[in-house]
Amino acid sequence: MEKESHLYATCSAACPVHTDTREYVRRISTGDYEGALDVLLEVNPFSSVCGRICHHPCESQCRRQVIDAPVGLRLLKRFVVENTREYRIQRRKKVEPVLGRKIAVIGSGPSGLTAARDLAMLGYKVTVFEKDSMLGGMLAHAIPRYRLPVDALQEDIDDILALGIESRLNCEVGKDVSFKDLRKEYDAILIAVGLAESHSLPIPGIGSDGILLGIPFLWDVANGSPPTLGDRVMVIGGGNVAIDVARAAKRLGPSQVIMACLESREEMPAWKWEIEEAEEEGISIMNSWGPKAILEQNGKTTGIEFKRCTRVFDENKRFNPQYDESVTTSLDVDSVILTIGQKANLDFLKETTVGVDRGRLICDRESCTATERGVFVSGEVMTGPGSAIQAVATGHDVARAIHHYLETGETLKLPQESIETIGELPAQTAARARKFDHIDVRLTDASQRIKDFSPIEPGYTEAQALSEARRCLACGTGAVLAPSAQCAGCLTCVRICPYGVATVERTASMPAQECLTCGLCAAECPAAGVALARFATNRVKETLESILTDCSAEKIQRPLVVSYCCLYEATSRKYLREQTRSEIEETGILRVMVPCVGRLGSIDLVSPFELGADRVSIIACHETGCLYTGAEELLERRIQQARRFLDEIGVGGESLQFFRTHTSAEESWPQFWRESKEDLRATSAA
Amino acid sequence: MTSTNGLKSGSNLEKVFRAGHLAVTCECGPPKGADVEHLKKKIQMIKGYVDAANVTDNQTAVVRMSSIGASAILVQNGVEPVMQMVTRDRNRIAAQSDLFGAYALGIRNMLCLTGDHQKFGNHPFARNVFDMDSIQLLSMVRTIRDEGKVNSGEPVEGGVKMFFGAAANPFADPFEFRAIRMGKKIYAGADFIQTQCIYDMPRFKEFMKMARDMGLHEKAFIMAGLTPLKSVGMARYMNRNVSGITIPEEMIKRVAGVPKDKQADEGIKICLEQMAELKEEEGIRGFHIMAIEWEERIPEIVERAGLYPRPRVD
Amino acid sequence: MIVADPKPFQEVRGFLENYRKILILGCGTCVTVCLSGGEAQAELLASGLRIAFKKDGKEVTVLEDTVQRQCEQEFVTPVLERVKKEGIDAVVTLACGVGVNFLSDRIGAVPVFPGVNTTFYGGNVEAGLWSEMCAGCGECITYLTGGICPIARCSKHLLNGPCGGSEKGMCEVDPKNTECVWQLIYDRMKLLGRLDEMRNLLPMKDWRPAMDGGVRRTVREHIYRLSYKSQT
Ligand SMILES: Cc1cc2nc3c(=O)[nH]c(=O)nc-3n(C[C@H](O)[C@H](O)[C@H](O)COP(=O)(O)OP(=O)(O)OC[C@H]3O[C@@H](n4cnc5c(N)ncnc54)[C@H](O)[C@@H]3O)c2cc1C
Repeated sequence: MEKESHLYATCSAACPVHTDTREYVRRISTGDYEGALDVLLEVNPFSSVCGRICHHPCESQCRRQVIDAPVGLRLLKRFVVENTREYRIQRRKKVEPVLGRKIAVIGSGPSGLTAARDLAMLGYKVTVFEKDSMLGGMLAHAIPRYRLPVDALQEDIDDILALGIESRLNCEVGKDVSFKDLRKEYDAILIAVGLAESHSLPIPGIGSDGILLGIPFLWDVANGSPPTLGDRVMVIGGGNVAIDVARAAKRLGPSQVIMACLESREEMPAWKWEIEEAEEEGISIMNSWGPKAILEQNGKTTGIEFKRCTRVFDENKRFNPQYDESVTTSLDVDSVILTIGQKANLDFLKETTVGVDRGRLICDRESCTATERGVFVSGEVMTGPGSAIQAVATGHDVARAIHHYLETGETLKLPQESIETIGELPAQTAARARKFDHIDVRLTDASQRIKDFSPIEPGYTEAQALSEARRCLACGTGAVLAPSAQCAGCLTCVRICPYGVATVERTASMPAQECLTCGLCAAECPAAGVALARFATNRVKETLESILTDCSAEKIQRPLVVSYCCLYEATSRKYLREQTRSEIEETGILRVMVPCVGRLGSIDLVSPFELGADRVSIIACHETGCLYTGAEELLERRIQQARRFLDEIGVGGESLQFFRTHTSAEESWPQFWRESKEDLRATSAA
Repeated sequence: MTSTNGLKSGSNLEKVFRAGHLAVTCECGPPKGADVEHLKKKIQMIKGYVDAANVTDNQTAVVRMSSIGASAILVQNGVEPVMQMVTRDRNRIAAQSDLFGAYALGIRNMLCLTGDHQKFGNHPFARNVFDMDSIQLLSMVRTIRDEGKVNSGEPVEGGVKMFFGAAANPFADPFEFRAIRMGKKIYAGADFIQTQCIYDMPRFKEFMKMARDMGLHEKAFIMAGLTPLKSVGMARYMNRNVSGITIPEEMIKRVAGVPKDKQADEGIKICLEQMAELKEEEGIRGFHIMAIEWEERIPEIVERAGLYPRPRVD
Repeated sequence: MIVADPKPFQEVRGFLENYRKILILGCGTCVTVCLSGGEAQAELLASGLRIAFKKDGKEVTVLEDTVQRQCEQEFVTPVLERVKKEGIDAVVTLACGVGVNFLSDRIGAVPVFPGVNTTFYGGNVEAGLWSEMCAGCGECITYLTGGICPIARCSKHLLNGPCGGSEKGMCEVDPKNTECVWQLIYDRMKLLGRLDEMRNLLPMKDWRPAMDGGVRRTVREHIYRLSYKSQT
């Protein structure tokens, strides 16, 4: 019984496009990487990009962190895209622009391309105008290659273009084509030009030779024509872009790269991990300093003077820096790169009626519209600086708005999203859960990585991905009392729940917020009334029935062993893949992969014999490998009980075998299956 | 309320008590069948050495000749019986009817008991009755004797003059309740009390003190129960298996300290020492010697305890 | 609640030698709670029977069903109809003995077999452990004994204190597992400051309200045989 919880898991809620995290992780752990890709691409056309550089709010909100550490969702995503390339190419489909209306998208960043994709899928004819020679916006031009290699981005873009979207590269609106012409030719226009320009600073010496701006600097680096830098480089700014600038600069070979920012260490807007990685690479950071003047000699930059920044934000948490001019310091530097904020270049709108106010595009976020009918806005030009995935989200939004407009001629106010999550994992529940080490990947050594722009982070191996996937708590997909259940309020669930989650008030209740989805209550419920969204045990029976009725009984290599295996022990897809009929017939082994064999009820242990099995073999995890508190003990007792019952009914308790994985599933399982089969022959011969 | 000579029953046992003598009783277990000869042999062994002999009622729930039948044989053979009656096997109808029958057969003493649970016997699968407990049985039979009414209130035809006894176990728990429970039995109708066999003397003395504090020693004749140890094996067995009995370690050591063939003598010696000590205990009015399947040593014990010959009271 | 234990499989199997379509009927109340006769147990027994019959080469259909309470007319009626409609020729009920009787009284020529042994009225003392606490004697005397029943919980049903088999708080009949109820009563009366009452003689019990008075029934006049209900 698949029952979608109406509540968002916190990870999905945190994701701007609400990726169904639980589901793709579940599909990974069942070896269905292609299915996982489907889940990803459904909402996120930039899945490859996000697998590399997403700031992963999902992980920040992962409920597992109160137990040990969040699940490595970004790397799992990356694992999926990296292991489904062929499938991804196969699933590409061109969509004919049957609707006949034309849409122009200005800017090929994640938001413009997402909107283009959505609209093309609906059947519109979409043309993307990009001033640069490559699609992708900041992804293509600003984010350094060591974080986001070109091919990763290209995969996403190829997917999008395959729909039949037309792209005009090296075509800057306002220069190569006028906005007015676009207005004439297209039924709707999307402005998704991002924030491509860096702010400068009005301080003495700013005009000297040796002063650069962050975005253009990165742009040039990305395009393979880096500017010449002096030997001592100062990067001004404390955000993520500044870090990228500093790290990119470092890779160009100067002996010193220093960052300076107004914020204290704690206040720095850059991600903590980015700062740490930068420091590992030998970049030093000067906190709480504001640039006072650039020192120059003969028009050449020679140094920079700072004043003490005493406060960055005011009482209203607004950016409003205060300085102590009496405290200063100066450094000798050859180059200064300013990375203190971005703005849009809206020159192309100059002679149009589209409203711009002090360099900012006037727009309504709720409807993603500019001041003119038929002109829409999305991405950072609308939201201000943000993340790629947020830009994607606005791309989806604006596509809806445009579609609505083209269908009805009316502006669509996007409904206010109200997201109900299942809430935090209560500490007392977390305290009872077993800890499992998060699988981290090792970045290339700092000394090595500053040598060039090669990617610094390896992806998960298959074994790592499968191992990390099991850490997912599958929040909100746990035990539910079936509506038809004859719950007698017997308290068995309460008594066996390892986490103290189940309660009985007239009938049982397993609050989604707390349930850790181990399934033990479902296995023990005397009324057979607890269902599990993630893995209903009754599916075992259905699978068996269908397979056993499909396989021709004579062909099966007897004895037929039904083997329930803990799917979390797989380190590859080998045994996760569904077996073919002939494989089952030839081997006489029918695998049933279960996320924890502890959730197999007595009936699951007995019913295979009814369906034609000669033997049931349960393969559990490693001795210390069980994810779920208490599962081992309960399973052991259940097996004992089932064996007694099998003795009673004349099947013989020894027909129910129990193994624990050692080394790896791939190594030890075949050995168990051999044992299962041999044993039986021995007993049947005797 | 009592018979003309001031006695409740006129049994020999009652007369010995009332004359102020230390009374002596022993146990005489009926055969596991109808072997009257075997029973008669036992009777001959003890005849003259005791004032009365308890005839057990399917003791430890093992099926034996009925205590009424065996008691009647004792009467015929000149030893006064103390007929035991347990509530395990008979409801109030059977109990009253058996009382009448027993009296008609000349039986004059009856010990009212609840009886061992059938789990310990040879018919553990039997159903038990327990329509009443020993205290309620005492109360019922006393009413028959003193008020001439059966349990339902209807009159008894002809008088039933019997001397009623009860058992007390000072060694079971809760200890503080043990004297109270004996008191309940006495208030319910027990004329005399036979205690569980005594090994733990300090505890027994404490029990007696509680009983005296309640004045129980003046309301009923309390007989100290004794079982001479036959061997170390027996001591250990009882310690382990008979609930409510703890034999002090020194006593076991003492028996163990003599050669195997002398252990029985040592056991009897200990028993005699206990009797000597208990004679001094206020409120002890006699001895109930439970020499289980060891009736042949009764005469010796009674003699060596200075209690022979038994008084003749008329 | 009523506690029951599953009957040995072979015993149940033995009842069913001559039937072709058997219904295993779980009960959703007491036996579900004591884990002996709920839906899960019905499924398991049914599966076991199917396996056993198949092994013996017998073509028998084993069906399963569970009703909320087998001791209610309204709940069992649908089952009776099902039995008739589907031509079920034997029923094994996992309800307590009440269920067996209740069905047998109503089911006509189809035999009803017990799948459990009904044991006692008890409470769940701890997870997985039930203990007898009431004997249904028809006249509750626990107000005299600190709320603890010596009839149900004393091996000899004594009413006037512990026998000689009470040692260290345990009953000699099962010294490992069973507490001496009179020790419990004693302790509790002490706790309640009512030890004095322990000296009172409790008279013999009138057993008529218990099963000794004949088969018992209870009528609630206010809803019994309402005239407007019998008209329809
Ligand atoms: C250095 C840097 C690092 C970043 N790192 C991360 C990160 O690690 N993780 C993350 O999630 N986000 C990161 N971001 C943010 C992310 O890249 C942006 O949020 C995202 O790219 C914004 O998308 P967009 O579609 O709004 O615009 P952009 O990506 O800015 O794309 C706008 C496009 O419009 C084009 N354009 C502009 N004007 C015209 C015109 N007149 N005619 C034609 N084309 C035009 C531009 O050339 C550009 O290609 C980073 C940004 C920067 C600058």
